[in-house]
Amino acid sequence: MKFLLNWLWLLAGIHYAAGEHTNNWAVLVCSSRYWFNYRHMANALGMYRTVKRLGIPDSQIILMLADDAACNSRNKFAGSVYANTGRELDLYGDNIEVDYRGYEVTVENFLRLLTGRHDESIPRSKRLLTDKNSNIFIYLTGHGGNEFLKFQDNEEVSAHDISDALHQMHQAGRYNEIFFMVDTCQANSMYSTLYSPGILATGSSVVGENSYSHENDYDVGVAVIDSYTHYVLEYMERVNKTSRLTMADLFASYDVPKIGSHPGVRSDLFQRPLGPQQQHPMAEYGRGPGWKVEGEWQGREGEQGKMGKEALITDFFGGVVSVNADEDAGDVSQFEPCDDAVLHKSLKSSPVVSSSSFLPTSRLPSSGSLYPILRASAAFLLLGGLFVFVFIGV
Amino acid sequence: MSRFRDPSTISFQYDSVRRCIIASYWIIIALALPLWWKTTSIQRLPLPTSEVYTQAQKKLQIPLEICVDPVFSSQVSSIHASIRNVASYLEVNVNIGQHCNQSAGYAVLPGDQLLIQDRKLYYPTTLAVENLPSTLVSLVAPEMDQRAAQYSPRYRLSFTLLNEDGSAGQVVTGWDIRQAISQYISPITSALGILHNFTIESQVQFHAPLAFEPASLADGTYGLTPENLTVFINSAEWTLSSSSSNDPVLHFVLFVPSAKRRPLTILNLDGNPSSSSAFLIPQWGGIVILNLPAPPPTTLDLTLPDLRSSFSPFSRQLLTLLGFPRLPPSVSSSSKGTLSLWQIDSLLRQRTHENVVRSHDTLRSTVTVVSQIQGMPVDSQVQAQVQGALKALHELFAFARTNLSLDEMLVYSARALTLSSKAFFHPGMLALLYFPAEHKYAVYTPLFASAMIPLFAAAMREVKAWRKERKEAKAKAAKDVAVDGAAMDANAVDTSQ
Repeated sequence: MKFLLNWLWLLAGIHYAAGEHTNNWAVLVCSSRYWFNYRHMANALGMYRTVKRLGIPDSQIILMLADDAACNSRNKFAGSVYANTGRELDLYGDNIEVDYRGYEVTVENFLRLLTGRHDESIPRSKRLLTDKNSNIFIYLTGHGGNEFLKFQDNEEVSAHDISDALHQMHQAGRYNEIFFMVDTCQANSMYSTLYSPGILATGSSVVGENSYSHENDYDVGVAVIDSYTHYVLEYMERVNKTSRLTMADLFASYDVPKIGSHPGVRSDLFQRPLGPQQQHPMAEYGRGPGWKVEGEWQGREGEQGKMGKEALITDFFGGVVSVNADEDAGDVSQFEPCDDAVLHKSLKSSPVVSSSSFLPTSRLPSSGSLYPILRASAAFLLLGGLFVFVFIGV
Repeated sequence: MSRFRDPSTISFQYDSVRRCIIASYWIIIALALPLWWKTTSIQRLPLPTSEVYTQAQKKLQIPLEICVDPVFSSQVSSIHASIRNVASYLEVNVNIGQHCNQSAGYAVLPGDQLLIQDRKLYYPTTLAVENLPSTLVSLVAPEMDQRAAQYSPRYRLSFTLLNEDGSAGQVVTGWDIRQAISQYISPITSALGILHNFTIESQVQFHAPLAFEPASLADGTYGLTPENLTVFINSAEWTLSSSSSNDPVLHFVLFVPSAKRRPLTILNLDGNPSSSSAFLIPQWGGIVILNLPAPPPTTLDLTLPDLRSSFSPFSRQLLTLLGFPRLPPSVSSSSKGTLSLWQIDSLLRQRTHENVVRSHDTLRSTVTVVSQIQGMPVDSQVQAQVQGALKALHELFAFARTNLSLDEMLVYSARALTLSSKAFFHPGMLALLYFPAEHKYAVYTPLFASAMIPLFAAAMREVKAWRKERKEAKAKAAKDVAVDGAAMDANAVDTSQ
């Protein structure tokens, strides 16, 4: 019995140690450009504002942004980017540090950023200088499809590339934990191939489903923000630096009728519980009214057995500069009153299809890795054979 | 009858010419295939995988000889056990010797007070002898401070004097930074020069606004709450270090609050002003708040005596950030103000051990990642770096027991670490993007299918014609009607067209 107890203590200790981090980083990527993708830039800038407000210093935020909205000649409000009808809050402000701008937002740069394989000449501000004590928040937005995200209408990053890059980060000891968030069409496919420990992932829509934009501003003339990001940001306004809200609280706040798509969560790679085991906020995740299909939550079964501290939102969004080593953050459990800056009526204008879904929605999920190869080679042979027959006229 | 010439008589319609043309296409394709294969395949040089795995399983044992005076002979086994317990990377050897005070190594001698001098520890016999092992452990293998920065062979120390708002009056226009550095920082950098190569830079800024409003207190002063401290650094508006190199930077900021907000104090958790005006951000650097005295001094150039109150915290912060162990509170050093050899040695051992573990991990990760990700190129530089790291480790392990000083061990371990991380983070090691088979067919089919089909068709038709020709020629030969076989042959070719 004593042995068992010791063993339990040991386990708890390991889990406790796994949850410790001494610095926070954020990688925010908007992979679209051009004026009509205004909302993607607003998404990224909204996240930027939130992580900065919660205390991640600019030097630890890597923002990849085409950045052609604020100073676009079509922008009636020059130098500003708004994320809501009525233009209450200028997200562009006067203190935006874009690390990768315009044509620098490429798949190669993104993967180099993650893996740390830079050319010697790349300055510190463009590097992700994380270590094994870093918690990283990775946010991707843009146009995507099943297992890929398009970068500036030019190239694509596949979910496999991101998984491999994160695996290399794990191997190199470049993170403690990662929170991976994607807002794009079929976003949940982007985290489906991850395989490295310590990653918590969430996406805006299931495979075969679009993500939608939230609202238009008729003076700006385009959709100003995507629905999923809008409601995440709206929730984040309730979080302050000392908040004890957990990740489970954030995920439980997903409201399908409002968002218009079915967000998913993946926690099977993540060691800590998402919320308190008693009265878990996600106990009924994905089963409420409005969910047309049951919400996707990979790792639902494993949640019960997890030990250690629950994952707080501020573990990923806050800046934990523990100024004094023996100082504790304290047990403050208070909410900051909503300052209503980016909150507005949840009145939803007719949803604009935000992303071109490149693949038909009824696309079969690829079952196993052999299937697509077989199918493709069969098609190749069939077509070739047909041509040969026609030509020779045998 | 026809005014057209018989096709078989036109030079470029000769069978042989046509066949040559078709054959040349195939020859070019056949020759191009290896070239295409070579240009599209990636260079993956072999890495010494098995060697890396064997090396990564080894554990470095750093020898540690302690000579103990016979007075403490009862504690020998306890000393041995407690040091091994805390630091398994040390190969402890405790001797009882009569002449410990003459040895150059570590020695424990009886003395009047608990004192260290060079590598000797004087332990008063009046103290409980059972505490000797724990005292030795805290001298030889102290716990690494969590706030220390990760080891790097090079550091850049950046000293910045920040005036919050120069326009509000009472601006500090200069400081005697050279004197202050030589007084407070140079003793540290020269003592730890074996471990790191330091570059120092300094600057004065006249406008450095805070990103928040400090709390206004009842007595008219201003305070920084613990929460304020975490966001104190306004990295968006302050440029604290030059970006001319990629060496890790340790920042030291002397912050002069604006004349409108003086004095600015640091508040405790309970909201009362704390006595300290300095705070440390782990792995990042240190900050000291400098409040100018109430009647503003006539000269606003800070002299060495003025800087005393800020640079002694800076030197302590620097030591903490470099992982320099503290002396146990009960132990005093004979040479006050300088760094004792006990501490420097234990830091050297710790960093060596750390570097070896890190380079093992990095090497193992490199090999694993390369074998797991098939599209990852490995060029000769990476190969050389991996081999170089292995060589440094081999040498370190081979000579650790015999004839390597602590300094040399650190040099080897640092070289292994630098090379292994250079190999892992080599810019050429970027895997090719993942392309599913569908993508490959989608790229190649439109281009090659359309070009290949006519080629195939022409070749097959030519082969058919040739076989038919041969068959007919054979048949004719058999029938032995060879009178006008040539004309018949021409007809045969015509019909097939």
